[in-house]
This record gives sequence, structure tokens and C-alpha cells, in this order.
Amino acid sequence: MTDAKYHTPEDLTLQGRVFRPSSTTELHEAIEQAFDYRGDVTLELTSGETVIGYVFNRDANSAVPALELFPRDLPGVRKIAYADVVSIAFTGEDTASGKSWEAWVAKKESQRRAESEQVAAAAKARGHL
Amino acid sequence: MAVPLSQMFTVTKYVLTQKLKGVKRYPLVLMLEPLFRCNLACAGCGKIQYPDHVLDRRLTPEQCWAAAEECGAPIVSIPGGEPLIHPEMPEIVRGLIARKKYVYLCTNAILLERKLDEYTPSKYLTFSVHMDGLKEEHDRAVCRDGVYEMAVKAIKAALKCGFRVTTNTTLFDDANPERVRAFFDEMMKLGVEGMMISPGYSYQKAPDQQHFLKRHRTRELFSKILGNRKPGWRFNQSPLFLEFLMGKREYQCTPWGNPTYNIFGWQRPCYLLQDGYVRTFRELMEETDWERYGTGRNEKCADCMVHCGYEASAVQDTFSSWSGFSRTVKATLLPNAR
Repeated sequence: MTDAKYHTPEDLTLQGRVFRPSSTTELHEAIEQAFDYRGDVTLELTSGETVIGYVFNRDANSAVPALELFPRDLPGVRKIAYADVVSIAFTGEDTASGKSWEAWVAKKESQRRAESEQVAAAAKARGHL
Repeated sequence: MAVPLSQMFTVTKYVLTQKLKGVKRYPLVLMLEPLFRCNLACAGCGKIQYPDHVLDRRLTPEQCWAAAEECGAPIVSIPGGEPLIHPEMPEIVRGLIARKKYVYLCTNAILLERKLDEYTPSKYLTFSVHMDGLKEEHDRAVCRDGVYEMAVKAIKAALKCGFRVTTNTTLFDDANPERVRAFFDEMMKLGVEGMMISPGYSYQKAPDQQHFLKRHRTRELFSKILGNRKPGWRFNQSPLFLEFLMGKREYQCTPWGNPTYNIFGWQRPCYLLQDGYVRTFRELMEETDWERYGTGRNEKCADCMVHCGYEASAVQDTFSSWSGFSRTVKATLLPNAR
């Protein structure tokens, strides 16, 4: 239900940006941004591995600071130590961008109707309507 | 109050037991979110703003039951997403009822009529239908025409089958008080057991003065809506919480009163804010820095007057003293007293 209407700053999406932290402070800030981001990120690790997924949790204050991520193409959870992260790219769609109540109200009626029908069609295709 | 006596007795016994044991922080309602996938896309709803692979994840029945047992709250509210989309929802509900939990299964009711035969009427099960106002207001809020009429039809069908049904309404500053009052009349005519109302949550970085004005506007709105209440209106909520909404009393938030468990884990600190997750209910209760949250302590809490934080505060007020209890009795019997 719509208990909340978030004021998403439309012009501040991180989609497409890449962070290569050069200090612990920058690394923590970048991971915080990844945690707040409502889309998938691509992490480059010190091992050379690339991980794509949704960062849903982080603990910067634990003995070994780590983030938790839902991999995009695998079940389960992946836990990654902060120290293993080389770069963070905001590669996935920002699912919050353009979705605020203010953005909806500002649209033309015809556009709202079209989007509403698109959402309904997608739900119907999944068998949820 | 609209709530059945057995439920009132269970909650009363639970709260008094916590107090006798000297438990400082106890949960009242578990907010169990088994999935975030929805068949609506209400503008601004943060609960559905995830990539598809996250929306496809679900809690298993076993995870749901384990969370309810770990938490121990007598009431389990199941929001989402749209819970009726979950293919194992009937099994989840059966398991919670077997554990004697009072379940409020939240739904936009689009799938309700189709799925009614998968459930059995019970004093433990209430369908809590999301209705944000009369047809024009509700369809606008959920960004799709026809949903109000679908929901009314489903409510009638559920009531006819003997299910408990309540409505759940979120109101923002632009609500028209007279239209909201007319909506209450309509829901009572439908025959729902009771209604739940709450202001919505809207966080915006702003100076303190603007936050004050926002809370002032919220209180003004609810005073106009709830002042001179009609005797036929039944609210499935603490009367002291309704007085809080009207600005007649002040409370600090009780975020642990409605702990939230979902696919990410136990959510800190509350149903609305997502400040991280922990694996166990014990970690949530004992290792969260609760002093960082609440009105005056955190800017994200500045405008909040939502039921998930403040209803528990009102319940705490009722059971903390004889004067709290007598305030509750008075508010119940004389809701329009000044």
C-alpha cells in the first residue's frame, strides 16, 4: 500500500555513474550510495571478479565491514567485505527515478493513462491481474 | 471499538504480561512483508521500487512462521507488495492462525474475490483492504481507474462469505476532509468491521520550521476529519492514537512496536525507514540504537505521525497507568468531548 510517498530528487540519480574510491572514507561513502540506490550495481572486486546485483544491506561498523547483495542471476545472498571492493558502477536502472508522486501529477493525463495501462499489461502477463 | 472481544482480551493479556515482566521494549504488531511484487504501481510507493529479480524473491511459509514465533507479537500484519500474489499465502496464513496470531492480510482487493475460496473465515483472519477514499480519490491514489469498484465488489463478497474485513486508508495533506467523512459513511454502509486511518509518510529535507508546519497541517486535517465524529463510524485503532492525529496529545514514536521482517531480514529501525537489516529479532531489539530515531532526534522522523510508530505509543499510554486507561475509556465513549 502507499503508506509513503518519497520525494525522489529526479535530477540526482546515480544511474550510469562509476565510483573508484581512493580512500576508506570514499569507499564507505560509495557503498552507502550503493545501499541507497534502488537499482542493481556492478562491483569490481580485488580478485578480478565482477558481481552484479542489488545491495540491500551494509555494516560499516562491524569488525570486518561488509555489504550484502542479491546477485542478479543467482539465488541466495552474497556477502562482500568492503576491503574487496575496487569500484562500484551504478549500471542497473534506477527504479525510483521519475516515480515520485510529484512526477506523476506533473504528467499529462494521456501519459498517465498510457503508463497505467502498461503497468496493468505487465501485471496481467505475469498472471497477477 | 470494532475489534472482537477475544482479540482485545489477547492483546490486553499480552501487554499486561510484558509490563509485569518489566519488559521495556516489546512488539505489538509484526509487519510481515513476504514479497514486494505488486499488481499496482502507485506513484511514489517506495515498497515496489526494486529491480525485477528482487521483486521476484519471496519469503517461504517456514520463514514467515519462524519470524512470527521469534517476534512473539500477538498480531501479524501482512503488507507488501500485494500479498495475494504470493502463491503460498493461504499456507502462510493457515500456519499463523495455527499459532493463534491475529492476522491482518492487507490487499488492494484486485485478486481478493478470485482467491476467497483459498481461505477459511476465522476470528483470527481479517482482510485489510487498502482504500484511500471515494472512487475518484482512490483510483487517483492507486493510479488506475476501476480499482475502487473492484475493491467494493470484493469487500461485499468477502463479507458475504463471513470473513472479517477492515479498510486501511492513508491520507496526505491534499485530502478533502468532507470527502473523507463521506468515504467513512460509505465504508460503514458496506458493513466493514472497522476502518484504519493514518497520515502518509513523506520525507523531504527541509528546515525545522517546515517540518513543524507539516505536522501542524496533518493535525489540522485530522481534526477536521475526526472532529464531530459520527456514532456509526467504527475505527479499528486506539482512540488515543486518533486523538494524537488530531493534536490532542503528544507521543514519541515507538518504532519497535511494529517490527518489520521481509526478504532482506529484520528491518532497522521501522516499517518506513530502511537503515539496514539484521538476521535475528533479538539483534533488532537489543542492538539497534533506538535513541537515534523519533521526532526531534532524526530529520527523517520529523514529519512522521504514521500508525506503525505511534499506535504502539498510544497502546503503551493506555496500559501504563490508571489515568492512561481512563483516558482511553473516555476517548472511546466520548470521542467528541473537548
